[in-house]
Amino acid sequence: MYLKRLTIYGFGKFHDRTFSLTAGFNVMLGPNEAGKSTLTQFISAILFGFPTKKHPELRYEPLDGSRFGGEVVMTLAGTDYLVSRVDGPRGGKVTLHNCTLDLDLPAANLPRLLAPVDSQLFKNVYAITEPQLSTVFSASKQELIDRLRHVGAVGSDFWLQQAQRLDRSAEALYKPQGRKPQLNQLLQAHQELTAKLTKANATYETYWGLLKEQTEQRHQQAHLRQQLKVQREIASQYDQQLAMWPIFQQWQKLDAAMAPVPDGFQERDAATLERLENQVKATTAARQETQTQLAQLQEQAQLPPLFQQYLLVTAQVDPLLNQLPDITIAERERRRLQQDRQDLQQRATTLEQQYAVQGQMPRAFSLATTQRVQQLAAKLTLATQKRRRLQQSLNQLNEQYRQQQPGRQRQSNPLADKQIGWLAAGLVVLVGSMFLPATIFKLAGALLGVAVGYYGVFIVDSSTPASRQQQTLEDDIRDVQAQLREGSRTMDQLTSELDDIGDAHGLGNLPVEQWSAAQKAIVEWDRLTQRIEATTAQLTTVAQQVETFRAAVQAALPTLAGVDFSEVLTQLQALQNTQQKLQHQESDVAATATRLKREQTAVDQAQRAITTFLQTRNLRSATAFYQRYQQAREHENLTAQRTALAQQMGSQLAKLQQVTTHADLMSQATAATNQVVALQHQLDTVTARLATVAGQLEHLTASGTQATLRQRLANLEAQMQAVTQQWLVDRLVSQWIAATLAAASGDRLPQIVKTASQFYGKLTENRYTEIELTSTDLRVRRQDGDWRLVSQLSRGTAEQLDFAIKLAFAVVMAQQVAMPVVIDDGLVNFDAQRRQAAYRLLADISRHVQVILLTADAQVAAGLPTENLMNLTD
Amino acid sequence: MKFIHAADLHLDSPFLGLQHLPNVLLTQVRESTFRAATRVFDRALAEKVDFVLLTGDLFDRAEQSVAAQAYLFKQFERLNDAHIPIFISFGNHDYLADQHQTVSYPENVTVFGAQVSTHTLTLTTGETVAISGFSYPQRWVATDQTGDFPARAATDWHIGMLHGAVNSGGEAHYAPFTVNELLEKRYDYWALGHIHQHQCLNQQPPVIYAGNTQGRSVKEAGDRGAYLVTSDGQTLRPTFFSTAEILWETCQLTLSETDTLTALSQQLVAWLSDHAAQRLTLTTVVIRLAQQLSDEDTAQLASGDWLTLWQRTQQRVMRAANRYIVAVVLNDQPVKIEAPQLDEQYWDQGAASVFTPTNLQSLFGKLAQEPALADWFVQQQTSDELERAARQQLARLMGEEDDHVS
Repeated sequence: MYLKRLTIYGFGKFHDRTFSLTAGFNVMLGPNEAGKSTLTQFISAILFGFPTKKHPELRYEPLDGSRFGGEVVMTLAGTDYLVSRVDGPRGGKVTLHNCTLDLDLPAANLPRLLAPVDSQLFKNVYAITEPQLSTVFSASKQELIDRLRHVGAVGSDFWLQQAQRLDRSAEALYKPQGRKPQLNQLLQAHQELTAKLTKANATYETYWGLLKEQTEQRHQQAHLRQQLKVQREIASQYDQQLAMWPIFQQWQKLDAAMAPVPDGFQERDAATLERLENQVKATTAARQETQTQLAQLQEQAQLPPLFQQYLLVTAQVDPLLNQLPDITIAERERRRLQQDRQDLQQRATTLEQQYAVQGQMPRAFSLATTQRVQQLAAKLTLATQKRRRLQQSLNQLNEQYRQQQPGRQRQSNPLADKQIGWLAAGLVVLVGSMFLPATIFKLAGALLGVAVGYYGVFIVDSSTPASRQQQTLEDDIRDVQAQLREGSRTMDQLTSELDDIGDAHGLGNLPVEQWSAAQKAIVEWDRLTQRIEATTAQLTTVAQQVETFRAAVQAALPTLAGVDFSEVLTQLQALQNTQQKLQHQESDVAATATRLKREQTAVDQAQRAITTFLQTRNLRSATAFYQRYQQAREHENLTAQRTALAQQMGSQLAKLQQVTTHADLMSQATAATNQVVALQHQLDTVTARLATVAGQLEHLTASGTQATLRQRLANLEAQMQAVTQQWLVDRLVSQWIAATLAAASGDRLPQIVKTASQFYGKLTENRYTEIELTSTDLRVRRQDGDWRLVSQLSRGTAEQLDFAIKLAFAVVMAQQVAMPVVIDDGLVNFDAQRRQAAYRLLADISRHVQVILLTADAQVAAGLPTENLMNLTD
Repeated sequence: MKFIHAADLHLDSPFLGLQHLPNVLLTQVRESTFRAATRVFDRALAEKVDFVLLTGDLFDRAEQSVAAQAYLFKQFERLNDAHIPIFISFGNHDYLADQHQTVSYPENVTVFGAQVSTHTLTLTTGETVAISGFSYPQRWVATDQTGDFPARAATDWHIGMLHGAVNSGGEAHYAPFTVNELLEKRYDYWALGHIHQHQCLNQQPPVIYAGNTQGRSVKEAGDRGAYLVTSDGQTLRPTFFSTAEILWETCQLTLSETDTLTALSQQLVAWLSDHAAQRLTLTTVVIRLAQQLSDEDTAQLASGDWLTLWQRTQQRVMRAANRYIVAVVLNDQPVKIEAPQLDEQYWDQGAASVFTPTNLQSLFGKLAQEPALADWFVQQQTSDELERAARQQLARLMGEEDDHVS
């Protein structure tokens, strides 16, 4: 690209000026103040925009008030473009016109047409001014690389813009030294939040501290409670003691008040005395009564005459009198015996009269004899009975016979007659048997009687008919008569046997039937005889006894001589009665007297007992005792009272007794109470503290401050990470673009360096032969091979270096970027020789790049075609 | 026998990667770790388990959380009242540091010491259980500890507690082990901790990571919980149960007709109403757009400003769906750098020189002094992510360049 024409509407000192330029080497001559810098600035301003109004010195607004701005015609790739710029917003109002096609283009296309050159690059590389050259001292590889990168690749302007945008965006996100960018603010916030959290975390320590404290305080609380309980107990003891102090005092007073009471004034002693006194009283009363009684008894003594006698011979009579009951009995016995004997003698006499034979009583049978007699008697009875029966049978038979003989008239009622006869006979036998001496006989007789009766009634009746009967009757009669004779013989034999026995025993006169009774009488008589003898003997004894007594009585009491004994006895009885009565009276009196005496003794004893009782107690009277007794009672009452008090005080008594004074107790109680209060206070403190701790713990636990802060911090960190990532991505993309651009342009650097070396050699007339770029610096090689750093070069030589590099850059990059090199008095520090070298070089490169040299040095014009030479002052 | 195996409660630890959170959620998030842990303890009480195993990282010691400690005291006391023993082997976050433990846990709590030790329990059934484990004495345990675990005891059951990571061959800080080493011990159950994703390393005998009880970042998506282990004859059967209060989810959305943020907003609202969650779910939406957003929109989206505004305006919708959109990420296709005007090789050269650790490090510069950023920066994925993002950005720029040139 080259500039074809510059038209200035108004810019700095210029207005309405037009400069036509060639594609090669153009020189604009003008002294100082001619407007060389203005023109440089004009090109920059039209192509890249007016500087902002913040820098009015760079704007070059026309001083004469003509229209600010101008236009440039440039040829780019064979096409002519007209760029005009007048005052306006954002760098001025631009119009772009494609002159070749006569086409208006959007103003925005201008930067693209100029790309990759922008005002910066233009200023840095293509507008070579004296101040620009002087910056060579800061030149470095990086700067060069940046410039290279700037133009390194086609379209790199876009990427460079993006990189710039990214950098800006990154800067908005974060600047290491900044404050405003987002991340910086976040970091700040993070710092603050961290500080807050750290502060909040302090609660962790607090928490554990509190937890520990809580545990300790709980222990202490329990301990204090225990202590308090104990101490309360103690205090309450003291309080009780205090409350009981009056009682204790009373108790003590009672103790002091109580004189020791001797023994013997107890209630039982009083009872003893009472009893004794009552005894005395009672016995005295009894004694008096007895005395009265005695007097009465003595008055009653009146005696009969016989008693007077008796009194004389009391000694003789008293034994008699003692015998009197016996004698009376004996007398009575004697009489009875006499009576008995008479009676017995009478009965014996009767028996003798009945049975005695010639005054001689028959002897009694022996047992064998008796049996024999009985046997015989029985046989005899049987025989008699048999005979009687036979007789009867005979009679009957005879009768029957008789009847049959005379006819039958008597037969009309034979049965009745016969029956009555048999019954009468039976009855007779029955009755007769009753007179038999022995029972067996009686029984036999009775049976016989009954048998006879029976026979008579039933058997006899059975008579056979008269024809046969008569014969039979005659037989029977004969038979019966034979039997009768037989019976009579047996009876005679028996009777003689019995008579023998009767003769032998003197019973000759008596019938055998009476023998049994006689035998009984004989036994009775024998017994009576014996009894009479016994009675007589008794009687003799009794009579003798009575007689002796009687004699004695008579001897003692002659008055009774000749008196009937029973009268004597009566008299004696009376006497005895009198005597006994007297004796009785006497004994009454004596008893009374004895009683009196006894009572007197009792009274005395009682009195003595009382005296002793009183004496042992050292007393004169019962009254004194009672006084003392009363005292004792009172004492007892007091003791009881004291005991009651002691009971009331209970176990406290022992403790109270240890207390010396009330004040002591008071102080102890107070101390204990104080202790309780102190403990309570401590406990309250601990409890309050626990509550506080619990509250604090609750607060710490529940506040959630930590968690909230931590979450906020986490969120903030997430945010920070996101921002950082964004920042890093921006920066990385920017770096990437740069690196890519560097890579793309990287291969031109050596070319530039090489070209620059050539140019530098030309400019320095080969005093320096080589340029080398280090990462941080530039160094040059002298002809002699020594390396020099830029900082070691002279100002002129350094400027030549920069000049050479810029030109080399422009030449090398001309393939991509065709931009005119504008040199604005850039060589003022060169000496003439160097300046000539520079001119030659410029002329040389103008074959590749349009060169616009603005200079005050007229010498340059030598050897230049005129169309390339303009005079600014024209 | 019945017990609960839980790990990595991370009580009172913050959720990571959330930039903006309304206060309502902040409270819920703050309480979530506690609520999740409470579900573990509630379950222990409800099931009347014989004991509870907590394999490390109950809390983060460095965070010095009062709430976590107070909470543990309270919960341990609850279990103590129910006579349920608790065994704790501290991990890398709650490593043993006794300077504060002046107030000890209730008596039902057994904390393993720095050396492997074994505690034997006799259950009410008469069964005996030996439990072996150890606590981290500091933040790292670099050596394999399995050798210190005793041979299987003569008890009915033997359980190992280990907070650590499977030895992957590289540098290990967390008690590295191999599953075979564990199996060689012939224990009945290995209660592992440290890895937050619950997983079963071996079926029988079970070697199990309980995972954490509450996910705390988008990387911890999916359900979280603990294991209830019951005996079945001679074997132990672990059953997972959920405890998470808040879930994390990353959802992919392909939107074809969307080229503006306004449209995107509408689409998101529509999507939300169609995808209501059971539990509160912190949702990251990865959006694939058929058409590119404008530069401005992209920038707005990238800066998070748009999301912040959207979150504020669409709170009701999110509440209704029980989801909270924590991030909207554009899923751009991996891009091939094709700059028509610059040779591809230059871009590759540029990338090669820029995406080097050294360059990244120098670029990161002073920020490395910020621990929060430094930790993030040193992660491998960070540099990957950076490069990915840079490529995307560049791709966008190229698109612009295309427009620009054409």
